Amino acid sequence: MIIRGTAITKPLRDSADVCIIGSGCGGGASAKVLAEAGRKVIVLEEGGYHTAADFDGNEETAYQNLYRQRAGQATSDLAVTVLQGRCVGGSSTVNWTTSLRTPEFVLEAWRRNFGVQGLSPKDLEPYFERVERYINVHLEPDSNHSPNNRIILDGARKLGYRAKAGGRNTRDCVKAGACGLGCPFDAKQTVDITYIPDAVRAGATVFADCRAERIDPSSRMKRVTGVVLDPLTNRPRTDFLIEAQVVIVAASAIHSPVLLLKSGLVNSSGQVGKNLTLHLTSAVLGLFDEDIYAGGGIPQSALCDEFLNKKGDGGGFWIEAVPAYPTLAALALPGFGASHRETMRLYPHIGASIVLVKEIDSVGRVMAGESGQPSIHYTVGRKDLAYMKHGLKIAAEIQFAAGAKEVMTLHARKIEFHSAAEIDRGLGSAGWDTNEVALYSAHPLGTCRMGADPHRSVVDSHCQAHDVKGLFVIDGSVTPTSLGVNPQITILSIAEKSAEWLAENFDRVV
Amino acid sequence: MTVEDHSPSRRTFLKESLLGVAVLSAAKVHPRLLLSDGVPAEVATQLHYFSGHEYMIVRAIAGCMVGRVPAETEDPIDAALRADQFLSTADEEVQDQIHQLLTAFNGPFFTFLFDFRFSSFLRMKPQDQDSYLEDWMTSTLAFRRKGFQALKRLTLSMYYTDRRSWATIGYHGMTPEVRP
Repeated sequence: MIIRGTAITKPLRDSADVCIIGSGCGGGASAKVLAEAGRKVIVLEEGGYHTAADFDGNEETAYQNLYRQRAGQATSDLAVTVLQGRCVGGSSTVNWTTSLRTPEFVLEAWRRNFGVQGLSPKDLEPYFERVERYINVHLEPDSNHSPNNRIILDGARKLGYRAKAGGRNTRDCVKAGACGLGCPFDAKQTVDITYIPDAVRAGATVFADCRAERIDPSSRMKRVTGVVLDPLTNRPRTDFLIEAQVVIVAASAIHSPVLLLKSGLVNSSGQVGKNLTLHLTSAVLGLFDEDIYAGGGIPQSALCDEFLNKKGDGGGFWIEAVPAYPTLAALALPGFGASHRETMRLYPHIGASIVLVKEIDSVGRVMAGESGQPSIHYTVGRKDLAYMKHGLKIAAEIQFAAGAKEVMTLHARKIEFHSAAEIDRGLGSAGWDTNEVALYSAHPLGTCRMGADPHRSVVDSHCQAHDVKGLFVIDGSVTPTSLGVNPQITILSIAEKSAEWLAENFDRVV
Repeated sequence: MTVEDHSPSRRTFLKESLLGVAVLSAAKVHPRLLLSDGVPAEVATQLHYFSGHEYMIVRAIAGCMVGRVPAETEDPIDAALRADQFLSTADEEVQDQIHQLLTAFNGPFFTFLFDFRFSSFLRMKPQDQDSYLEDWMTSTLAFRRKGFQALKRLTLSMYYTDRRSWATIGYHGMTPEVRP
């Protein structure tokens, strides 16, 4: 059963075999596997429980109900906006459906550099297949790509770059374009309509609006304490205590390390909260004569991955489309005032392509702030910045090849090109310091990284903490490096594998 | 952004330079460098977070950010009032930071300190307000660029999440033919 915070009127006390903190890809998949294995499972979710009937396709409603800090979460210097879901289903509820397997070169680097075992491409193949089948990952037929995705397919191919359809986890998609605002049609196969209901059918209980604040593993039954939130005011209404033999932290790469740090746990390596990667993202916007309407149609169904690990250094970038809803577009557009307003009036004619960098030398960290909220810090490395510049150049070329009349970057001071010949000079004159260009992330990863060495990593290859038996971290925190692909398939597959191992070895870890 | 090392610091808004610290401190000492409000009575009764003076500052900033509409048309969207409602349920830390930012942004002491202007933001002529905002946006001081971003995000998000703005930009929501 799924219980909303409004239904919890007095202090909540309960116990389970497994308490899972977070109901996104990591927590949801773990809950299903463990509940179906016969374990009593309790899932705690800080955000609310919302269904298709609540999703109205409006940014205001979606940001209020479904996103961390109403989509305003950012690094401490405001340089990078970090978009994350905060609801039952986590970021799967608001992502743009792209479903790609972890690249082989990434998995090989994890084995070689971090001693990760059991996550080779061959090991993960059955999990990839199972996950993809379960959430119906498929390629869209050519006729289904929106004009905004066609820019990438047509533009990149004209230039001789590799561009292709990317997997999507939808069923009977009606191409409304609302993926990022919660799917009103239940077409997107998100965790809240797949894994969570199956976990509940197998006996799991999900408590929404419950924020875990501390884990105490000192006794046989580990204690998770926190507060039940009023969904309207976000203020505590009452408290809870859940006792469980096993605790799985699955609150994302931003919030899992903060919970562990606040609890004073599993940080003998000093690595909790460090090694944050974001898939640093920026964009180019092209103005077209024809309607693009980037806020409608399938948001993301194509990509250009020609430049990922092209030099063999593990870095690079890839290019995808982005659903440019009005507020996202308004905040990303350069400048302000009359010129900004004039550009907004051209909204239907704007095509938007994002460049996502697979970082290799940026430095990121999440810390617990004074108020208990995460404090996110990120410094872009020189190599990654070079990849971002290269990516924006290629994305701009693609826009022109697809027919754009003018292309601009997201610099605060407008940088625009009227032909491909102007791109190099324009980018060369641009500023790249903090808040001189809009940067984003929807893929925070790596803050409780996995590895064989307890001095260099937080969890082992089964996602169990090196320091505390029976305490697991199963979410995007555990990736030892950034991925180079949108992360949901990686997280779901690692979660299914780790939870399966836990189910089989339960008596050994408690 | 490229090579700066933002060493983790708790106060997350302006405290990223010595000048930022000074600004914060001064803003705390003088939390209200108030002029007459001029807030419409019907708005004043609806404010939960902003003082009347702060509301007027944010309304002026929103006007600059969104781009002023021609004088003969009245924009039905009050981004400042929406910002007040939004911030009234925000974390106390964020609320505190916004109060301080508005004081630093508007006060004549700070406008002089930053730009040698002898007027508060509210008292500037419209073109000077635009120019002052531009100075914040392109400043060599990181905390001013950060302040600009905070104000841009606050005002433009309040404006464009109001669906009454959609008609002006040709947005119709979800692909119309499939809207439930």
